[in-house]
Amino acid sequence: MSAPILSTRGLTKRFRGLTAMSDVDIDVPAGSICSLIGPNGAGKSTFFNLVTGYVAPSAGSIVFAGRRIDGMPTDTINRLGIGRAFQISKPFPGLSVRDNVRVGALFGADGDRDPDAVTEDAMTLAGLAGHRDAAASSLTVGFLRRLELARAIATRPRLLLADEPCAGLNPSETAEIVDILRRVRARGLTVLLVEHDMRAVMEVSDHVFVLEAGRKIAEGPPQRIARDPAVIAAYLGTDAEDPG
Amino acid sequence: MKGRTAAILAAGAVLALLAVLPAFVMPYHVRVGQLFLLSAGLALAWHILGGFAGYWSFGHTAFVGIGAFTAGLLHVHLKLPPMLGFAAGTLLGGCVSAAFAAVIAYPVLRLRGIYFAIALLGVSQVLGELSQNVDAFQGALGLNLPDIVPDAIRPEVFFYYCFLALAAGIFAFSAWLRGSRLGYGLAAIREDEDTARMLGVPTERFKVLTFVLSAALTGTIGAVYAYSLGYFTSGSVFRVDFSLNMILHALLGGIGTLAGPVIGAALLVFVTNVLLGRLLDVHLLVTGVLVVGLVLLAPSGLLGVLRDWRARWRRNERP
Repeated sequence: MSAPILSTRGLTKRFRGLTAMSDVDIDVPAGSICSLIGPNGAGKSTFFNLVTGYVAPSAGSIVFAGRRIDGMPTDTINRLGIGRAFQISKPFPGLSVRDNVRVGALFGADGDRDPDAVTEDAMTLAGLAGHRDAAASSLTVGFLRRLELARAIATRPRLLLADEPCAGLNPSETAEIVDILRRVRARGLTVLLVEHDMRAVMEVSDHVFVLEAGRKIAEGPPQRIARDPAVIAAYLGTDAEDPG
Repeated sequence: MKGRTAAILAAGAVLALLAVLPAFVMPYHVRVGQLFLLSAGLALAWHILGGFAGYWSFGHTAFVGIGAFTAGLLHVHLKLPPMLGFAAGTLLGGCVSAAFAAVIAYPVLRLRGIYFAIALLGVSQVLGELSQNVDAFQGALGLNLPDIVPDAIRPEVFFYYCFLALAAGIFAFSAWLRGSRLGYGLAAIREDEDTARMLGVPTERFKVLTFVLSAALTGTIGAVYAYSLGYFTSGSVFRVDFSLNMILHALLGGIGTLAGPVIGAALLVFVTNVLLGRLLDVHLLVTGVLVVGLVLLAPSGLLGVLRDWRARWRRNERP
């Protein structure tokens, strides 16, 4: 396993009385595709919100590429190289597809770039080249997801966080998204995926982390995770919990 | 790029037409033109913040007032030669407005939407009251400014050209801004501020910068406006109708478009001062009906309606 690009130690988040995340250690190896899975309310979105600086951790540390990033503002974290594609697509509805992606290309990670080239490249990678002049508000769900990915990719991240990019998509659309993620990885980016679509997770992941009720209960290669008793119990419940 | 060349040519033609207009029309119509250019300049300055960044200020007259009072007090205390005083007052009016905006930026820009709008309305009211009640500002008594108009030129023509220069300058600045990196960042902030931040847009810095720019331009216009009045009180520059007209002109023309504020100002000034100029007792009523009708029928403004028509026409053309 290569050195981690992202590692958390003892990551904890309390919202008043509720502990949404408790003592989570996660190491995402550079250049891999990793998945974060778990039942609803397991803390997957909280993890993303913590890493991207939307909320500050109550305890613990987040290190990205050798640098402590916990407590930094969101835009600074993005400029250091973390991109995020949202689950509920948040396009800029008044802008065209091209201008949406261009915002990412003009901002995002520090360093030199040619915004036009970056925009075209990200649209091509996400299969949006034929829709560059369409209004973002006119896209279907599948294309909105691609736009989310393209816009995040245009910020030239080293780590891409993809929040349920396949939710609500049909199998062929899902296959296309998986394809895009593979192409992203082939460019040397690291991908961390939150996903409910188990087929996509099993197909694409090198390593899987399982959260339940804010704790990490298992991690490993996808084949092993699929057979892990603790994971099966978390998803399906155990006999003891089953009143029937 | 063909569309862009056409747009530049159209803007140039309008500018040329406006530049020669005073030679051909009656003095009253030059005054109407002056009012139009003042309104267009103010709406354009407001629109930099309200249209590009989506932060609607309901109290932008605060900066008109700051600009005017800066110019007025500078004259009272320094008594510079008229033309030098005019230049210094205009420059300083913009600077003091900018400085004031920079000071209040941090608290007010934490507010979004209607809360920001109301905060600015409050700021303008407070400043209006202060200028009226603090003796040092002399806002109740009024301030006199010297006549700066050269003998060879009529005053309404002179200020017509002053406001034309300001409006054209702010228009050109807006055109540059919209295509710039800052402009894209502002569009992202307007559309969705949280997402903008996730894409690395330094939202706080951009908002403050834009607020300060918009205030500086509004304050500059305020200083020139004070000179065009010659004598003014608090009530002549801290005017709620200024604040509202800036919004209304931008809204009627099309928020987020470049020419929208100018077209909105042209339309409303023309209707109220020319079409209804002889019907003084009902002109506000008719204007009100017109505004309500336009907002209901064309919520995205005149340019917005045109854009929608063009999009529909293109879709029909390409089956």
